[in-house]
Amino acid sequence: MKRSATPYLFLSPYLAIFALFWAWPILESLLLSFQNTRVSPPVWNLSVNWGRILGDAAFWDALRNTVLILVIQVPLMLALATVLAVALNSQLLRARGFFRFAFFAPVVVGAVAYSAVFRLLFNQNGAVNAALGTQLNWIFDPVGAMAVIIITLTWRWTGYNAIIILAGLQSIPKDIYEAAEIDGASPWQQFWRITVPSLRPVLLFCLVLSIIGTLQLFTEPWLITNGGPGTATTTLGVYLYRQGFQNINFGYASTIAYAITLLALVFSIIQLRLFGRES
Amino acid sequence: MKRLLVFGAALALTVASAQQLQGNPNLRGEITVWSWDIAAKALEANIPGFNKLFPNVKVTVLDIGNQATYDRGLAGCAAGGGDLPDVYSIENNEAEVFWARFPNCFTDLNTLQPAASTLRNQFPAFKWTELTVGNKVFAMPWDSGPVVMFYRRDIYSQAGVNPATIRTWDDFIAAGKKIAQATNNRVKVGVIANGQDDEWFRMLANQNGCFYFNNEASAVTVNQPGCVTALETVKKLIDAGIVMQGGWNEQIQAFKAGTVATSMFGAWYEGTIRSNAPDQSGKWGVYLMPASRAGGVRAANLGGSALAIPASSRNKEAAWAFVRYALGTTEGQVTMLKQYGLVPSLLAATRDPYVAQPQAYWGNQRIWQQILGTLGSVPAARGTQFFQEARAIMVKTQADYVAGRFPNAKAALDAAAQQISQATGLPIAR
Repeated sequence: MKRSATPYLFLSPYLAIFALFWAWPILESLLLSFQNTRVSPPVWNLSVNWGRILGDAAFWDALRNTVLILVIQVPLMLALATVLAVALNSQLLRARGFFRFAFFAPVVVGAVAYSAVFRLLFNQNGAVNAALGTQLNWIFDPVGAMAVIIITLTWRWTGYNAIIILAGLQSIPKDIYEAAEIDGASPWQQFWRITVPSLRPVLLFCLVLSIIGTLQLFTEPWLITNGGPGTATTTLGVYLYRQGFQNINFGYASTIAYAITLLALVFSIIQLRLFGRES
Repeated sequence: MKRLLVFGAALALTVASAQQLQGNPNLRGEITVWSWDIAAKALEANIPGFNKLFPNVKVTVLDIGNQATYDRGLAGCAAGGGDLPDVYSIENNEAEVFWARFPNCFTDLNTLQPAASTLRNQFPAFKWTELTVGNKVFAMPWDSGPVVMFYRRDIYSQAGVNPATIRTWDDFIAAGKKIAQATNNRVKVGVIANGQDDEWFRMLANQNGCFYFNNEASAVTVNQPGCVTALETVKKLIDAGIVMQGGWNEQIQAFKAGTVATSMFGAWYEGTIRSNAPDQSGKWGVYLMPASRAGGVRAANLGGSALAIPASSRNKEAAWAFVRYALGTTEGQVTMLKQYGLVPSLLAATRDPYVAQPQAYWGNQRIWQQILGTLGSVPAARGTQFFQEARAIMVKTQADYVAGRFPNAKAALDAAAQQISQATGLPIAR
């Protein structure tokens, strides 16, 4: 055997699995998006799904909700995570190990379990209303339901992002702060002039992960609000699932999947334009 | 719109009563059944009787929940029949999507012994419509869901409301206001799942002879006059502030806590009330659903299910024996009616002496006679293979209309018809 074939031989199990479980489904779903899958067997029809998507009010609702979570929940969460990371990094804090674990712990909890708990908490007769002394019908109000989803996501992912940011904080050389202190910079100035700029690549990393996560968001809205009321919390992920596995319209579900992919591409380009140049 | 076969006429047509099922100790094997809530419990209650006839068939009923049964069934069929049970519960409304997309996923019950077609006359004709494709029969009819009002006698009388005087939806709204007043607004007169479901719209539309699609499944009819009236009524009820909003679980919590005085549902909800609130025995009663206008139809249907046998089952014979015992014998059906209030569609079972008995839980009212008596007036409606898509659009439309985003119900339903037509490719009926 030629020596040059050896690396490929070692790679072949991975390549085979990649071809079978990644490349083929990706190609297959592209082909499905050009088929009418609501007849048995499916037939080719280039426009049935792509022609539908732009005029589909439910798709636009899902897109609007997803973007809404992107512009409200993601920045809110990253800001909170940054503040939390700075606090966790503080020399003044005792039992830092415990707090780091406590804020990271939500990630360990199964999504299904904590979704059920949040649904109970925000029930009209639930603990949240009892604590606030209100009678709000969170889950059945469009704004309330979205608020619950945002609160839930923030609860789960803030600690996770804080730990990543914390790692970034610890890589900032201490002598920069010492120099700043000698120059008379206040802690507030140090935060904005040193900490935040140094964290830029880490924050960008967290942002990219959060955007991808939001575009795929499914579990929480599905289990807590079932996408409702109406379509108030239907995300692109929920809408894709509904079309694929409730209406058994795999062709249209594939079209939605490709639309999400295109969106992810657009967001990535915007990010690189905005943040990428300097880092 | 065509009326259902009048029940009395159907009874007269059934010359022979349900055949006695012959037991067979030689039939062996294990079968798994998927179902939900009280339907699962009802099937479970049939196992002892079934095992007297078939002692060597082991039956396991799994309660995996209504939505999960539907979702996992479709996923299983899409995967070529993997991970499916031997007996599968399916709602009539949702059945056609299975036969249309996966014609090979389920056993044609005419290929088994005895063929399903020999059982045809034992059920009213409308129960077979959604279960039959050409000569093939993919599922056996189970229960039906004649809609009635379940109400709290004590709360109504405390508020001075006599249910016999509630004949129209306007009467019902007036009663709701009286109840709210008498209880300091603590008790509502109903629970509507606005934004999560459109059950109330469907029940009211059905009552008015309207539904998402026509009975030929060839056109969208959701913007026709009967549906417009139905949607207007739903908004009137919510605007009057006399109903609370909530889903399945919230409704159960509400009647257990005594904060809701009426539940409108398919009659299968009887078992849900009785098994969740045993301490309220004697406090409940039943009356017919109010009509849209004086003298109008006071009946509708919501839900109703069937049992199918996946083609991947390795024990079809045993599965078929179980299905025929549970659904095709008076004994099986009356067991489910007694314990869990599932309304039989097997004609012989509707004549069982139990049906005529007064029910202690319901204040000694002869509720089953009254409920079954409405079946002949239920206008026909068909789910078609697009039921779930139309429903999702209607849930949203109803929520938007209630929130005041359309000038009137007709405009809302015109928009819904447009969307359903676009989603399904079916034209809007003129």
